[in-house]
Amino acid sequence: MHEHELWLTALFNDHLAGPANSILNAVRMPAEHPERPWQNWIVMELLVVAILAVLLPFDRARFSVDKPGRLQHLFEITYNFVGEQMGELGIHHGEQYLPYFGTLFIFILFMNLLGIIPTFDSPTMYPMVPLGLALCTFFYYHAKGVKELGIGKYLLQFVGPIPAMALLMVPIELTGHLARPMSLTIRLFANMYAGEQVTNSFLSLTKFIIPAVFMALHVFVAFLQAYIFMLLSMIYVAMATSHEH
Amino acid sequence: MRSKMIFMAIVAMLLFVAPIFAQAPGGAAPAPTNWKPALAAIGMGIGSGLCGLGQGRAAAGAAEAMARNPGAAAGIRFALILGLVLIESLALYVMVIIYTVS
Repeated sequence: MHEHELWLTALFNDHLAGPANSILNAVRMPAEHPERPWQNWIVMELLVVAILAVLLPFDRARFSVDKPGRLQHLFEITYNFVGEQMGELGIHHGEQYLPYFGTLFIFILFMNLLGIIPTFDSPTMYPMVPLGLALCTFFYYHAKGVKELGIGKYLLQFVGPIPAMALLMVPIELTGHLARPMSLTIRLFANMYAGEQVTNSFLSLTKFIIPAVFMALHVFVAFLQAYIFMLLSMIYVAMATSHEH
Repeated sequence: MRSKMIFMAIVAMLLFVAPIFAQAPGGAAPAPTNWKPALAAIGMGIGSGLCGLGQGRAAAGAAEAMARNPGAAAGIRFALILGLVLIESLALYVMVIIYTVS
């Protein structure tokens, strides 16, 4: 969809083409154009990872219990927010899931907002990135369901409430479970892609105010979609780990 | 009298195709019509229209509930946003199909 290379991608391609080709050939997925193997989405995603995993721990050292600064307040608000959401959905002992959901929310939020900055692209605008996140969530909630209930009881959930209808319920449940990562992927990807396309369409029509209004709508949608992805992952984990009382 | 006027109006509209007689005989067959943009537009229109109806019902239900029970406004607002986003994603599935086929 986007063939145009961003300046950061060009920088990576100029200097780091060799290591990229070695990695891709090692996993037997050679690049389409070996002389420029880096693509926009992976470079942007690595940029967000660098911001979150390298810059933020340096701020962590300055967190203090007595005199919290502004960034610490922001992260405390986010932490409480995610924890409250889990409580609302009826997840018991949700602290074990909090790192995953918090990471998911902040990661997707930063990736969505990166596209607002002029010479950068949202990695979530390319379908591969939301697919990776949705597959992570898929394996995560199955793993947590098996860990919480044991594999026998977990598979019994697929049979449904009435054992006599098992032959009908199992395909329906399987389809539903397979539809979940697909819907997560398409929802996030389509929202980000549509936001960019709408802004571009209005930029080709008129000058400053109207495209800026649509860009503001895109920012709001970015926050909302990150929250919805996290919320749906929580709902799936809550459904997978629910004990039948 | 009125039916006569309707009849003459229809005849007048049919005469609008008179320029077709200016075509040279044995004209070349036109290129096969490209249905994709037209059908994509119709599909997207149907998808967005029905999505609009659904979201309208969601917003109406939420506004009414918040008017009846202002104390529960926070929970209702949460349910409203959740419902709106999930309905929105259905219209976006149509858009993804459009970009897949064209």
